[in-house]
Amino acid sequence: MPDPIYLDHAATTPVRAEVLEAMLPFYGPKFGNPSSVHRWGRDARTALDEARERVARCIGATADEICFTSGGTEADNLAILGTWRARRSEGRRGIVTTPIEHKAVLETVHQAANEGAEERLCRMTSEGVVDVDSFRALLGTDTSIASVMWVNNEIGTIQPIEELVAAAKAAGALFHTDAVQGFGKVAIDSRTIPFDVLSISGHKIGAPKGIGAVFIRRGTVIEPLFHGGSQDRGRRPGTENVASVIGFARAAELAVAEREEHWHRLEAMRVKLEEAILARVPDAVIHGRGAAHRAPHIINISVPGVDSESMLMALDLRGIGCSAGSACQSGSVSPSHVLDAIGVAPDVAGAAIRMSIGSLTTDDAIDRVSQVFPALVEKARGVARVS
Amino acid sequence: MSGGVDSSVAAAMLVEQGYDVVGATMKLFCHDGDLPDRPCCSLDSVNDARRVCQTLGVPHYVLNLESAFGRDVVENFVNEYANGRTPIPCVRCNTFTKFRDLVVKADGIDARWIATGHYARTIDGELHRGIDHSKDQSYFLWGIDRSVLRRMLLPVGSQTKAETRAVAHTLGLEVVAEKQESQDICFVPDGDHTKIIRQRLGANAPSLTEGPFVLSNGSRVGTHAGFARFTIGQRRGLPGGFREPMFVVAIRPEDRAVVIGPREELLGRGVVARGVNWLVDAPRVGDRVSLQIRHRAPAVAAEIIRLDGDEIELALDEPVAAITPGQSLVIYDGDRVLGGGLIERAAGRRSPLPVSAWIPARRATLVNPTEAFRGG
Repeated sequence: MPDPIYLDHAATTPVRAEVLEAMLPFYGPKFGNPSSVHRWGRDARTALDEARERVARCIGATADEICFTSGGTEADNLAILGTWRARRSEGRRGIVTTPIEHKAVLETVHQAANEGAEERLCRMTSEGVVDVDSFRALLGTDTSIASVMWVNNEIGTIQPIEELVAAAKAAGALFHTDAVQGFGKVAIDSRTIPFDVLSISGHKIGAPKGIGAVFIRRGTVIEPLFHGGSQDRGRRPGTENVASVIGFARAAELAVAEREEHWHRLEAMRVKLEEAILARVPDAVIHGRGAAHRAPHIINISVPGVDSESMLMALDLRGIGCSAGSACQSGSVSPSHVLDAIGVAPDVAGAAIRMSIGSLTTDDAIDRVSQVFPALVEKARGVARVS
Repeated sequence: MSGGVDSSVAAAMLVEQGYDVVGATMKLFCHDGDLPDRPCCSLDSVNDARRVCQTLGVPHYVLNLESAFGRDVVENFVNEYANGRTPIPCVRCNTFTKFRDLVVKADGIDARWIATGHYARTIDGELHRGIDHSKDQSYFLWGIDRSVLRRMLLPVGSQTKAETRAVAHTLGLEVVAEKQESQDICFVPDGDHTKIIRQRLGANAPSLTEGPFVLSNGSRVGTHAGFARFTIGQRRGLPGGFREPMFVVAIRPEDRAVVIGPREELLGRGVVARGVNWLVDAPRVGDRVSLQIRHRAPAVAAEIIRLDGDEIELALDEPVAAITPGQSLVIYDGDRVLGGGLIERAAGRRSPLPVSAWIPARRATLVNPTEAFRGG
């Protein structure tokens, strides 16, 4: 078999060599606990503080606004539950969000609802973008938090964050955005867009799994999820994951520095792949293709009549790794709530395949997938005709 | 691959034989909330199947067949109980899920063969009992499409269960080698099938509502808590005070009655089945066959006396106990499966002939409705 092709960068990415190199001393001589008073502690603490500043700079923030977490899911939990719980006594009950959020947001909002919040899901356009009028209509004087992801992880549509933040702020609500999929792809600057809380994750940008961060704008009160220490200003007790933080800072800097070049490279490959597939499979549906702004790295494509499970297996058996829907704990694929929310018919949604390109993707890989994907479709349809 | 020893060994044997194996585990249902570990279909089982495939160096996929399984198997299971019958979901799972839906998935990846860990054999495109008659699962396979037989590989059907475990040890599949077998229905978490009926049809479903115990002469002798708790031949949960052991002999959903009677009322000399499926060219009226009316029941000699579309009637040489609507009637020629159908009713009750029919052992309970259903 030719070299396998990894087309699942939206799921995770390999740790970059520069990142690993930056981390290694912290698994070796610089092993200290940042809270310790001695030289080992000081070394770790200095590196940690410096890394915090570097991550902050990547999004136009100051160091005290960055709180490290175990990843995107914890960041979303802390952002939403932390602010909801801190503001609960003010009598604001509404949480406005979208039906295409990552489960880390949807389930967390659900938890807030168990604690007395009122969940409100705005409408989506069929292109996979928030219907801004519907979003506005849900905001009221009782709205506590609005949470909208920057880039959707399944279909890659970019949400009009600037407009949504303005609407939420006008209603007196806090605005949170899950920027896990957007970080390193879109420009994010807390000085130009006044979001209050923002979640990012390391392993989507070449840092290891298990590290993420939440930006908490100065003055935003947040109740910690964990208890038992004063780390991270008490917002996230627990000994810091120093090596991963260092790696995260390095990966974030690289991602931001290379962002535009990376965007153009990925977008060109995505367009080429989309066009190649559509040329041979004209009835294929690319979800979110009509959105005004799309991330450069995600193609979510349905070929009517070719179910995604069979297609994923067939691709994997030819060395091409893609994904579909959201994987449940057992590893099976469940129908996508995102496609359902943007009005895709169940049979079309059941055919969806997500290909996400990134650092490992080469032009040769795109050429090969451009051949293999349509060939598998034609074969599957041949089989369908025979039986 | 269920994560059990049989399908794991089946996969391992095929790898040894040089097949290009792809492992698949079907996710068929989702238990709400936490349940204690279950021997089949639980998350741990999926993980075991994945680990076995990793050991074998073959890919493994988890296929979500939940909605089709819910429609084709679980819904029918519930409706059959609601109609006073005793279904075998494993038969429908084999017919519709494993050897139809899974075959479609197999087509999608150009797989020529479909292999399972069933104790049965295919010989020249025909289905035979497994070598190990005590583990034979051919009874559960009568409903599959005949054309699939030529694509089936049943590697463990040619050996005993003990041999299967030995192979597992030899091949280093310690994760599964000594795993216990489940006797339960996979989607019925704790052996209480009324739970799923309640879930689907509501607590007020007639089949779960009080009704009378009656004798065949019509006299009422007690009250039961819902006829879905009973099956033909059952002794457990019946009113006492009779001179001879009493059994459930009929279930009448129309008046929610559970009819009980002595053993002789349990006997049938004939049986009518519907939904007949043949795995060979259909036999003719007058043909002598052997048939089995329950899993693990011995085969009995019979003659086909009527064939009418997908309905069949057979006359038994000797009366048989507990012919149960909803169970499978499987027709054999020796070890070869000719076909089968779903039992509609017994015919020719109260036989005057001498009785030497199957009398199941198993404690005081003649038949436990949820037991011995494991059809793999």
